[in-house]
Amino acid sequence: MGWITPMGHDIEGVWKRLLAGESGISRTSIFDASTFPTSISAEVKDFRLADHLPDASRHNGVGRNTRFALAACAKAWQMAGLPPLSTRNAQPPSLDLDRVGIYLGSGEGSLDFDAYTTAALGAWIPEKAALDTVKWARIAFQRMNVVREHEQEPNMPLSHIALLTGARGPAFNCLTACAASTQAIGEATQILRRGDADVMIGGGAHSMIHPFGVTGFNRLTALSTANEDPPRASRPFDAQRGGFVLGEGAGMVILETLEHARKRNATILAEIVGYGSTADAFRITDQDPQGLGAINAMKAALADAGLTPADVHYINAHGTGTRENDGNETSAIKAVFGAHARRCPVSSIKSMMGHLIAAAGAVELITCVLAIRDNILPPTINLENADPECDLDYVPNKARPARVDVALSNSFGFGGQNDSIIVRRFA
Amino acid sequence: MRRVVITGIGVICPLGIGTRAFWANLLAGKVAVQRIARFDPSGFPCQIGGEVPAYRIGDYVPKSYRKATKVMARDIELAVVAADDAFKSCGLKSKAYSDTPDIDPMRFGCNIGAGLISAELDELTAAMATARDGDRLDLRQWGSHGMNQLTPLWLLKYLPNMLACHVTIIHELKGPSNTITCADASSHLAIGEAFRTIQRGDADLAICGGAESKLNPMGLMRQTLLGRLTDKHNDAPAEAIRPFDSDAAGTALGEGGGLLILEEHDRAVKRGAKIYAELVGFGASQDAYSVTDPDPTGYSYGKAIAKALTDAGLSADQVDLLVPHGLGIASHDRAELAGLRAVFGDGLAGLPLATVKAQTGALAAGCGVDAAAAVLAIHDGKIPPAVNTRKAIDGMKLNVSPTAREAKVNVSVSSVYSLGGQNAALVFRATDY
Repeated sequence: MGWITPMGHDIEGVWKRLLAGESGISRTSIFDASTFPTSISAEVKDFRLADHLPDASRHNGVGRNTRFALAACAKAWQMAGLPPLSTRNAQPPSLDLDRVGIYLGSGEGSLDFDAYTTAALGAWIPEKAALDTVKWARIAFQRMNVVREHEQEPNMPLSHIALLTGARGPAFNCLTACAASTQAIGEATQILRRGDADVMIGGGAHSMIHPFGVTGFNRLTALSTANEDPPRASRPFDAQRGGFVLGEGAGMVILETLEHARKRNATILAEIVGYGSTADAFRITDQDPQGLGAINAMKAALADAGLTPADVHYINAHGTGTRENDGNETSAIKAVFGAHARRCPVSSIKSMMGHLIAAAGAVELITCVLAIRDNILPPTINLENADPECDLDYVPNKARPARVDVALSNSFGFGGQNDSIIVRRFA
Repeated sequence: MRRVVITGIGVICPLGIGTRAFWANLLAGKVAVQRIARFDPSGFPCQIGGEVPAYRIGDYVPKSYRKATKVMARDIELAVVAADDAFKSCGLKSKAYSDTPDIDPMRFGCNIGAGLISAELDELTAAMATARDGDRLDLRQWGSHGMNQLTPLWLLKYLPNMLACHVTIIHELKGPSNTITCADASSHLAIGEAFRTIQRGDADLAICGGAESKLNPMGLMRQTLLGRLTDKHNDAPAEAIRPFDSDAAGTALGEGGGLLILEEHDRAVKRGAKIYAELVGFGASQDAYSVTDPDPTGYSYGKAIAKALTDAGLSADQVDLLVPHGLGIASHDRAELAGLRAVFGDGLAGLPLATVKAQTGALAAGCGVDAAAAVLAIHDGKIPPAVNTRKAIDGMKLNVSPTAREAKVNVSVSSVYSLGGQNAALVFRATDY
């Protein structure tokens, strides 16, 4: 497993900070957001790609999303004990790279902001309220750079990971908004189960902390505007919650068939046992208020795992901190888990590291694996005011030791995309 | 393993709106590539492309949904129109057409591939102009008031998963849903994934494929910067895209959506559905070579096709028709042929090739249109032409014809690759084979 997050770049350090209930949210520094409705975010800090790769020169000019993806992948690859990446151009004798696939749920790269805005404004004809496309092309040809443009394609994190690892097996990138990397890991699991690969790199990477990304979410009024106290802005399940806080980063896991892992004596961290995916088919702006899509995703994951609700020891919630999500998710959990819902702890690490959008699910799955490993639950911080709509055990404010053998992680995307995944202690 | 058949096809592309128009014009050898009319392309070296004929999006959604068309980028519209066409061909009544649909929403999946959707420049620049400092956007003005010029739902026009979201809402499809974003390989990967979903029993039906339009200044700019487009055919657009031809000089943009409705075999037979063909094989792979150029050996591209044939339990010499990616970019075409040679060997010289993009333009995530052609060839017993492949590249012998041919097509293959190295192949088979 590997992650690059607003709370740090290594598994153990970030895990400690999560258990300590710290926050990775602060004033936005990537661009001048001082007058935006939201001027806070959860940025990845002090990050240099060269610190993480044997040779970063093959990845010059890539976007933040791809940089995070590459570093997280290199860490995961190393932890898995796979052949060193510096041998990338030679087929390592112990690994059939045609049987190593990649399934990411990564977002697009950021716009080349200066070139984009300068070309547009330079070619604007106010009287016609339209662009002079001939003039636009002239400026754009001078200002735009082929690498910066191409690296915005959402398949670029995937393609660069192929260059890094030499993986030539089945390769996909899905972009189902906030559900993307949970879905990617779930679909990667299906590819392994079917026998179409021995190893799959799964996960996601995203950064929407750029002017138009924040603009988009601010216009939707989805973001918290509690700018004055950044660490307390993300408040999942709290009565005073006012929206999510935008984060960025990447999470990567190495998935492997049991047979392949045993053959190479790999250390097995956990087992993916269930996955469910559904669509709300309700509205592009709102979740189904009955939570049917979320309910059916959780049910499908349980059925896929052959587990009953009572078998689940911990739920890592989507828990964004928006008024809508947290209430709906709570009632969906109740609908699926019945009486067990009151006994099953639920928490949202978005309270601490913000919402990594497409990368959120992967980072949260890694959190579930760590919770199982250490038998401890990460808290939901900033949970201070009870909301009658949100009346489950959200592990408020303090990490809690607890037996965790089975954890379920939810990810729900804009447009009604619902994914649930279940991970179990390997025995 | 459950069998999966195609019971619906939906196409919108420069050759026509609807599968019928597309297929007739494809067989007739019509080329839809012409001077770009949607905006003034004179500032670009390549000024031609394949544009979808005019349509009104409101005609393709239920009345109650017309308001939502305001937040549809063109890519989304293309998916919505293709989905309408697909449903109308499959003999099933979704929520869009009936208050008593004859499908179970939970058992109907949706897997629509998409591209990087460009924001409409006029709309965004009009807002930016209220916060400008000379030719620069002043971020402080933008944050305090400029951004408020944008519609609150602005972001939702451009999220790639909105193609699937609108289609699932319009037709009420609540099963497994995904959005693959792997450029030109998106449609085929999406169809392949939906195929697996039905095979293993997680759904009984799925609408799958992809849609994209790069026919806007930003899309044209990016492809120009990448050096993919021909600048030699502005005066002869019909001859511009020359897949595998010795005069290939680059591709040109198209736009479109191609969707298939996949259905579990027994269910389709039981309801007496019209079955176009059976989907029998899928293979996917990745180049580990470059993010901008295909591996010149075509190694992984060939692997994807070989895997799809193995999956189908068929050998290369059983293939009657290949719809290759065929972009008309010489270095790409060479790499593709190298991969094909690895699969088909000497048999490649005799294998009929249909080069759809010569007539439509490059369809990017809309390459589901190619897959539709491969299915229709089986169903209709016709091999589409390769209109601009006169003298094959590097003196190779290829089985191409400038006009459509009648033939019993039992097995067809459609294969694609993306800039970034994703490869995918689909194998279709006649139901009476």
